[in-house]
Amino acid sequence: MSEVHQVKAASVEVVNRAGVHARPAAALVKAAGRFRSEIHVEKDGLRVNAKSIMGVLMLAAEQGSTLRFTAVGPDAEEALATLTELVRRGFEEE
Amino acid sequence: MDLGLPTPLFPGNNGRGMERSITVEDLLRDREAILHLENLSPDTGLRRKITQATPGSPGLALAGFMARIRGGRVQVFGETEMAFLASLDPAEAAERLRAFFHHEIPVVFVTKGLEVPPWFLEAAKEYKIPVFRTTLSTGLFFQLLNPYLEAALAPTVSIHGSLADVYGVGLLFVGQSGIGKSECVLDLVERGHRLVADDLVFATRRGNDIIIGYGHELQRHHMEIRGVGIIDVRALFGIRAIRQQKRIEVVVQLEVWDDQRDYNRTGLEEEEAVILGVSLPKVTVPLNPGKNITVISEVVAMNHLLKYAGVDSAREFDQRMREALQVTRKYLEEDYE
Repeated sequence: MSEVHQVKAASVEVVNRAGVHARPAAALVKAAGRFRSEIHVEKDGLRVNAKSIMGVLMLAAEQGSTLRFTAVGPDAEEALATLTELVRRGFEEE
Repeated sequence: MDLGLPTPLFPGNNGRGMERSITVEDLLRDREAILHLENLSPDTGLRRKITQATPGSPGLALAGFMARIRGGRVQVFGETEMAFLASLDPAEAAERLRAFFHHEIPVVFVTKGLEVPPWFLEAAKEYKIPVFRTTLSTGLFFQLLNPYLEAALAPTVSIHGSLADVYGVGLLFVGQSGIGKSECVLDLVERGHRLVADDLVFATRRGNDIIIGYGHELQRHHMEIRGVGIIDVRALFGIRAIRQQKRIEVVVQLEVWDDQRDYNRTGLEEEEAVILGVSLPKVTVPLNPGKNITVISEVVAMNHLLKYAGVDSAREFDQRMREALQVTRKYLEEDYE
């Protein structure tokens, strides 16, 4: 805990038609879990741990809604780039 | 350790949790019948926001002292206020009311079924403030309104953790992803304890020192178990295995065993976790593969109950040890051989 990292943030719009249901949520959580940084995702004032599938599901993020990711840690920027890209590509659904 | 997820990115919450508000319409829907309300301003919109949990009474504000008025607070006019207004010239009274209504008042209640003069309603209408009359006494009205407002507007945070009722003690498990919070709670459920919420717990403060935990309404006692997927605890274990909400009493921090770290070996020092400014006892449990955390959790809960019953095992054991050592010293002091 000696290293001090800045909070990095990035927003992205949910594009896939079905929104963030179980399968996309699992993909997101899996991707987030590969990073050491602490990652949170927020929608409409509800902020949850991006490595928690239940948390991500509870955002009930529908198509057109905006997800805001924040990350703190050694690989924060890489994590944000990967996660926003995943959402932008619609979780490779459809 | 402060557990409540500070969300500084969310406007207006100051890192203390989600800012909450209800509309006058919400209040009416939930409490109209209980509060015996009669709408005296039928044309006035009900979308005004209530943001303060404590209702106010104008009191001195009607005498011209406006310094202490907070916007967003419902205002209750009792016999004192109405009698004072009636003692003034109507034009003067209406002027004082306008000065008061200027302060973002969401709604006005008049108690005891008191007569509300037309200039009162007109002044309220100018500021689009709805006016309701109740037949209840001021005291009873406050008694019935307070708990509702407090529950609806209490500060709330979301916590990444799992909450279970173990022997009636609310244990909140926290720790990094994959440490085994859900597995631990599932084990507890299997042993007859009750799940409140897994993975995402909302914590809300009641009064100054009580933290109530509950799950998201969409979650309904589902949980994710790695390797199995999403399961429905209520369907699997029945109604006895779940609870809607529970006071959080002890925080159990699960950690990967670290040789370099000092764990609490005596239980004499108490760790604490802070949620919404409230200090709660915290127990840090180091884990290594295959360790049975379930029984440890039950012991944590029982130990908490024991402390409440006036028995602090660690302290009492320590006290007995000290006394035993004392006797030895006395004996040696008298030994002049």
